[in-house]
Amino acid sequence: MLCEECREKNAVVFLKLAVNNKVTEMNLCPACAAKKGMGFGLESGAFNISDIVGNMSGYFKDFLPPEKKTLRCAACGLKYSEFKESGRLGCPECYAGFEPQLTELMSRIHGSSQHAGRACRGGPELKLSKAETCRRLDELRAALKEAVAKEDFEGAARLRDALKELDG
Amino acid sequence: MADLIKSFRPCVTWANARGAWPDMIFSTRVRFARNLAGFPFPNRAEPRQLAEIRRLALAAAKETGLFSKGHYLKIEALTPLERRFLVERHHVSHALASAVLPAGAAVANDEDLSVMINEEDHLRLQCLNAGFAIEEAFKAAVKLDEALGRELPFACGAKFGFLTACPTNAGTGIRVSCLAHLPALSRLGQMPQVLESLSHLGVTARGIYGEGTYVLGDFYQVSNATCLGRSEEEFCGNIDRVIRNLIRQEIAARETLLKGRFKLKTEDAVFRALGLLKHARTLSYEEFMQNISLARMGAAMGWNMGLDFSTFNQVTLLMQSAHIQAAAGRELSPAERDAFRAESLRKKLV
Repeated sequence: MLCEECREKNAVVFLKLAVNNKVTEMNLCPACAAKKGMGFGLESGAFNISDIVGNMSGYFKDFLPPEKKTLRCAACGLKYSEFKESGRLGCPECYAGFEPQLTELMSRIHGSSQHAGRACRGGPELKLSKAETCRRLDELRAALKEAVAKEDFEGAARLRDALKELDG
Repeated sequence: MADLIKSFRPCVTWANARGAWPDMIFSTRVRFARNLAGFPFPNRAEPRQLAEIRRLALAAAKETGLFSKGHYLKIEALTPLERRFLVERHHVSHALASAVLPAGAAVANDEDLSVMINEEDHLRLQCLNAGFAIEEAFKAAVKLDEALGRELPFACGAKFGFLTACPTNAGTGIRVSCLAHLPALSRLGQMPQVLESLSHLGVTARGIYGEGTYVLGDFYQVSNATCLGRSEEEFCGNIDRVIRNLIRQEIAARETLLKGRFKLKTEDAVFRALGLLKHARTLSYEEFMQNISLARMGAAMGWNMGLDFSTFNQVTLLMQSAHIQAAAGRELSPAERDAFRAESLRKKLV
């Protein structure tokens, strides 16, 4: 069998790709397979399917409702537009920050937007390392300073409580 | 040769052939995606946070008692060969194996339980069992999930369930999958229709190493595509029904291959494959997989291939490149691997 790509050499790499539940077959010679970055992909473990079939980042874009450019997660700062682009959320709090938009997306992906599985308990408190505790304290202090500067006293009170709790 | 690889058993229990259809269902996997509350997801976390998450997760794994005499690994500290080995054993994904930032894994001594740390989510915990064993794998995975949940606060909410970096995994965070060998459907060219019909059932099929990998040797990783809005048991039940249906279709396809004009062609293809496996002097893993697939089908059809299904399964694992290099005791060039593979296979097939 001749290589599909160059039609000169014999095909020795026979590949089947399953993408979106469709099988694509490719029969290639080693040189053309290597050019496609997959000749010895299995040996090196360094292949990336998106190079071959084009990536699917458009997937979320099509399903997520448009939103104001300023919408972002209050906890980690991830912009809604960044989420739309990458399809990845920044932290657990993003689910609260983007709840209406995610409700629509979830219905489309899963056919439902309401969890019906095992209940999850909060779990125990973590024994954080000193470094992580310090980092979080610094973050809270910075946020507190900003809240005071903005005269957001409600927010400042919340942050002060959080600081007290973390500081023991 | 790396000590890590030596510390793993030469053969894995999850590759033993057992269960109702050992010739068709290689293994069953149930995984849960979990994240720690109070930390950004791995893609947005700083390296020191990733290190902290790993520290907490490995300590929690140890605390469960389910990983005694197991392996606690820092991925970025491993050699490329060691990482490759873990991928071949299905304990870590390609994505985790290429980690440069703090990432980890815990693997139980029996290699049935494992946890990936700082892959797309903070934790991906899984149970891997031999054969068609959804209920058993589910129970063991739940036990591991509950044990870890006693040590770590998982991010979750009443509406979206367990929260994950990608919304496609949120809710139960479950993925149930079976590694199915479907050579007859493939040979008859029916896989495109089969995959098409699977997509309507909320099921996806992927290559042998999971997401974004090639279909190799007619092995398909069949799993649920959605995981929110129903109970874990319902997702398991759906995959169970789909697999049973796939098995029926594969059996029918095998019967077709043994009828009329197909029979001689099938027999010829199977024995040519066996001949190639027995006599080749150099063998790439791809070529090995194409031919072992046919030999495996031949054995299921009642022809003497000289191997039982457990050995077929073990060989399928042992012929992978990192395993070949582990057996050789040193790193090999691709050409050397192909020669070593052919030689060690010949010894098994005499």
